[in-house]
Amino acid sequence: MNLDLSDEQSQILDAAEALLQAEYPLSRLRSGAAEDLTRLVEFGLFGLGLAGEDGSDLLTEALLHARLGRHLLTPSTLAAAVAARLAAQAGDDALASRIADGALPVSAGVATGGDLLLCDAPGATMAVWREGDTLRWGPCDSGAAAPPAGGGLPLTRTPRPAGAATAPSAPWQLLVAAQLLGTAEAALDLSVAYARTREQFGRPIGAFQAIKHHCADMALGVAMVSAQLDFAALALEAGQEDADFQIAALARLAPRIALRNARMAIQIHGGIGFSDEADAHLILKQAHRLGQLLLPADLMALDAPLTPLNRSS
Amino acid sequence: MDLTPSPDDHRFRQRARDWLGANAPRHRAPAGGAGARQAATAWLARCHAAGWSGLAWPRDWGGQGLSADRLLIWYEEYARTGAPSPLDCTFVGLHHAGPTLIALGSEAQKAFHLPRILQGQSIWCQGFSEPGAGSDLASLRTSGRVEGDILVVNGQKIWSSYAEDADYQELLIRTEPGSARHRGLSWVICDMRAPGITVRPIANMAGETHFAEVFYDDVRIPLSNVVGGLHNGWATAMTTLGFERKTAAMALQLDLSVRVERLIAEAGAAPGSALAETLADLRAEAAGLRAMTWRSVLREGGTPFDGSLVRLTFAELAQRVHRLAAELLGPESLLQGPVMTDYFESYSETIAGGTAEIQRNIIAERILGLPREGRA
Repeated sequence: MNLDLSDEQSQILDAAEALLQAEYPLSRLRSGAAEDLTRLVEFGLFGLGLAGEDGSDLLTEALLHARLGRHLLTPSTLAAAVAARLAAQAGDDALASRIADGALPVSAGVATGGDLLLCDAPGATMAVWREGDTLRWGPCDSGAAAPPAGGGLPLTRTPRPAGAATAPSAPWQLLVAAQLLGTAEAALDLSVAYARTREQFGRPIGAFQAIKHHCADMALGVAMVSAQLDFAALALEAGQEDADFQIAALARLAPRIALRNARMAIQIHGGIGFSDEADAHLILKQAHRLGQLLLPADLMALDAPLTPLNRSS
Repeated sequence: MDLTPSPDDHRFRQRARDWLGANAPRHRAPAGGAGARQAATAWLARCHAAGWSGLAWPRDWGGQGLSADRLLIWYEEYARTGAPSPLDCTFVGLHHAGPTLIALGSEAQKAFHLPRILQGQSIWCQGFSEPGAGSDLASLRTSGRVEGDILVVNGQKIWSSYAEDADYQELLIRTEPGSARHRGLSWVICDMRAPGITVRPIANMAGETHFAEVFYDDVRIPLSNVVGGLHNGWATAMTTLGFERKTAAMALQLDLSVRVERLIAEAGAAPGSALAETLADLRAEAAGLRAMTWRSVLREGGTPFDGSLVRLTFAELAQRVHRLAAELLGPESLLQGPVMTDYFESYSETIAGGTAEIQRNIIAERILGLPREGRA
């Protein structure tokens, strides 16, 4: 047993990081343009779940989604990855290929009343969405732009399709949590960079313990969610008995840490953090969006792996 | 990455579970006094006779030479069985002094001390902290004056756990006159029966007296008791603390997951209640701590400071778990009992071995690269 990244995993992640830094800087979110996922399609991101039994590696996919989360990619990346997998599992290879090739955009969303709120600009005709504690997927109407809270990231409102198929939740939960980890990391990175350069009282604010300790708390959260992500992905991949428990624990931790780190990032940035001009609020809004996509996980209904042993004799 | 246990791993887990289930004491040992030493050494001797002692020690020195993943499995089963806390009077010998001697001791030091530690024949205590050197360990002042082949030691140590029971102490002293901070220190083996040593037990807030102050008045220690080189004690001490943060910490961190499960079982919280939500948070964080623990020992690389992340996560979670257990007792929490003892003892978690504040500074400065604290 080991928890080292393989050389192949490291190479894939490094290549993804280079692509994300070059093509998806946070500044793109201010242009108002719809997210262009062409580069990620070319990278093969949405076909990872289609590589067949041997090649499908949930851990690598989860780690890639953590990188996407760090760059605040649209949740459509989650929807496409999961829908392609679902189509392939349903035996519809043509549909799986169209999704993986980017020919058929898929949006991620959440049901509210009789509608779906989709996390993207209008245009998608297929979606993966949370409806209470159920995950559903299928065709949807393209809908109309809806005003996002705080002038945030784009949203579309469309009527909720009736009779849509349900989908197994575990891979969805894993990848959404991975992106939440990414947003928690983005908040930490942004805060540390700011604390090293912003000066008050003649020194970088990162020299003050109050700021240092906020940053340390953010790092603690990232370390925990990141380790739990590895555990959950490996358990799910191997079909271990405790997979549901590990996923549920991850789903409880990831949104809490992501939101906490985003709140701290705003606080550490001070006045500019409260303004629209800094990126901190974008991280907060992404964490809220991803949090809505996660299914509620009843961790207490599951058996924990480390239970006390009964020594009756 | 791969966490799939091999058939051998499964067999090892079952063998550990069976042996622990049949052999671990069923009753909590006394926390202090002669009864504590007797219980701890008897348990160690029992483990030793069955080949379950010195698990992380190399086979050449009587250990089992277990790999990191087998240690994790052992300590998981150990916690699930409810076997005695490893933090008893054998702890410093098995997890601090022993591994330090294995890494840096002379052949003579190893040949004499290691078998005695492993069989519970000699008990060790720690002598690092001083009244004026707590978080700032490098400011320590207890001195060792070199006189021929003897060190003459004067000064005072504090928070030395099990000093009253101990036969030997890992003692960190300033041996180079006029030296400052990390330079000029030495790590020496101190015979606790040597003339000039006075031990004054200190009761802790749980009402227990397992730690003590130690006073040194012209205590004579042979120079041959220096470990890792004269005036090179800081490096030796860091080696010692490195062991503390690996195998020893592993056992306590994994034990916390099981404690959370015991608490959940005892609490019987109604689904959806506020208590159930609190317990779910603790359960999720205990799962996260377990994943962090596994990663800390099964992943190469990282910085030597990464241990602070796991250590601090454990410390603060442990306090919350014990606090909730105490709260759930209601009025009974005013009475003496094991839950309240554990609760009071847990206040040390964010103080001993580097306070939570120091750990946060380490994380911020050494891992995140924020500016170092201005030092006078």
